[in-house]
Amino acid sequence: MKTVKLQKVPAPATPEASAGDLFLPNFCSIRVVFAIVIVAELLAFILVLSSPVGPAGGWDDLSLTSLFIQWVALASAAALCLSRPWLSCLDSRLAVLFSYLIPLAITALTSEAAYWIAYSSTPGQDVWHAQFMIRNVTISSILSAVTLRYFYIQHQWKQNIEAETKARLQALQARIHPHFLFNSMNTIASLTRSQPQIAEEVVEDLADLFRASLADARQRITLKEELELSRRYLHIEKLRLGERLTVAWDLQDLPGDTPIPALTIQPLLENAVYHGIEPLADGGTIRITGSHQSGLIEIAISNPLALHPNIATRRGGHHMALDNIRQRLAAHYGDKGTLTAGQQDGHYQARLVFPAQALV
Amino acid sequence: MKLLIADDEPLARARLRSLAAEIAEVDIAGEAANGKQALYLSCELAPDIILLDIRMPVMDGLEAAQHLAALENPPAVIFTTAYGDHALAAFEAQAVDYLLKPIRKERLEQALSKAGKLNRAQLHAVSQHRGDGNSGSRARTHVSAHSAGKIELVAVSDILYFQADQKYVTVRHTAGKVLIEESLKSLEEEFAGHFTRIHRNALVANAYLAGMSKNSAGHCEAILRGCGDTLEISRSHLATVKKMLTG
Repeated sequence: MKTVKLQKVPAPATPEASAGDLFLPNFCSIRVVFAIVIVAELLAFILVLSSPVGPAGGWDDLSLTSLFIQWVALASAAALCLSRPWLSCLDSRLAVLFSYLIPLAITALTSEAAYWIAYSSTPGQDVWHAQFMIRNVTISSILSAVTLRYFYIQHQWKQNIEAETKARLQALQARIHPHFLFNSMNTIASLTRSQPQIAEEVVEDLADLFRASLADARQRITLKEELELSRRYLHIEKLRLGERLTVAWDLQDLPGDTPIPALTIQPLLENAVYHGIEPLADGGTIRITGSHQSGLIEIAISNPLALHPNIATRRGGHHMALDNIRQRLAAHYGDKGTLTAGQQDGHYQARLVFPAQALV
Repeated sequence: MKLLIADDEPLARARLRSLAAEIAEVDIAGEAANGKQALYLSCELAPDIILLDIRMPVMDGLEAAQHLAALENPPAVIFTTAYGDHALAAFEAQAVDYLLKPIRKERLEQALSKAGKLNRAQLHAVSQHRGDGNSGSRARTHVSAHSAGKIELVAVSDILYFQADQKYVTVRHTAGKVLIEESLKSLEEEFAGHFTRIHRNALVANAYLAGMSKNSAGHCEAILRGCGDTLEISRSHLATVKKMLTG
């Protein structure tokens, strides 16, 4: 049985898809073993409490029953632990069948052993022998079924959660806008005739941007790499918009190796170009300032406001990009990563703040 | 065949120029960097065809086409755009051509040869469509007045009021007056939220409405910021004007 990776499936896992992974927990882990010991002991209590009180007041019964059940439970766990590699190679139905049969077989063996140790000395117990066996195996079969069902549902639930988280992150993944792609293609087409060398550069820049945008959404890159992507993006836009776009950088000793979700800064620049520079006949300056103080990195991007409110409102999608970045910041930094945006003195400014150190 | 190229990106213009230069019988009359420039150049150079980018600053291509449609001899319009603007599907139905960037030379050739057949009715159909949609966001940024082959554009934000006469509407703006042939009712609908009706024959810009006073005859008049003109407020519109001024 292959392990089917769900990476390419944006929807929550379907039962068919999740059946690929072995649904059993790892019985070799301390936590699972501990849980088994507890549950086994509880079962022992229930059995002793539900049977009529013997001459010894039940404590003997409890210790014997506990001993027996713990034997069965721990031996089953050990068997499942050892056979896990083998089980995970089986077809899922066979795996279920074997993981069901293993505890039953161990119950039968332990019962047999317990009978010979405890009762064989007393003669005339043949009927009792069979009863003892049937009783134990039946209890074991019911409990194994319930337990397996429980593990299956838990596994399913976990997989759903995982798939949902993954899907959410994928959906949030920063995307390069189609407008930008086609405009860049047009720039390349034009440059190919007049300045093929610059056209080549644009192709390289575009390739880098798309690689970042198509990468796994959970991947982080370094701040230095993100700033490099931002420069590449602005290089392309500068060629397209000509003199209308001026860029002013003011970055003060930022720790370049700080991890950051890919394409966190670039969409802010895209917004600035799209909503700030493009609607202006004479263009303007995009200012990027960066500072590092008390463990927090702040990147601010400002652009002139479009004079014509009509045009500005006609171009939607602005808040979507901001919300997308906010949600990705929340996913990566919790409440330590923030993005604020607003107007100030005829300028629009977006302020990005995030911790300088890697978290979680 | 005289061609006008309108695109805000210099490289996009350069490419169209070099493509068009390879096509026989095409003479590039001029280039514009936005819709407003395109309109003025259209009046000045009287091109046969205009390649009009949809996304441009100051005035977008769709609005420019709307003003062009009102010209006496409008050029045939071919829209250009980089990526599926939602409006494009509608143009297809109107048989107005559009080209997707980067534009192929064959497509440009095809469009140019077809363009001769485009007429004003089709341009009107486009402007109709443009007006239809969500009129609030689709309001023009400029109104245009035409006389003797000239076009005059007035930014909506510069307009103080519209006043209807017998046949024309006077547009009073910060730098003078022009006459346009549009109905006050359609203007009121298009610029709803920015202009207020104060009389059967007048719409006043909210931004310029400063107050009101009573004249000697006992009628109410609107006071406009930066303008001495007096406009009568009719009794039926008094309540809305008062609400505007106090709210």
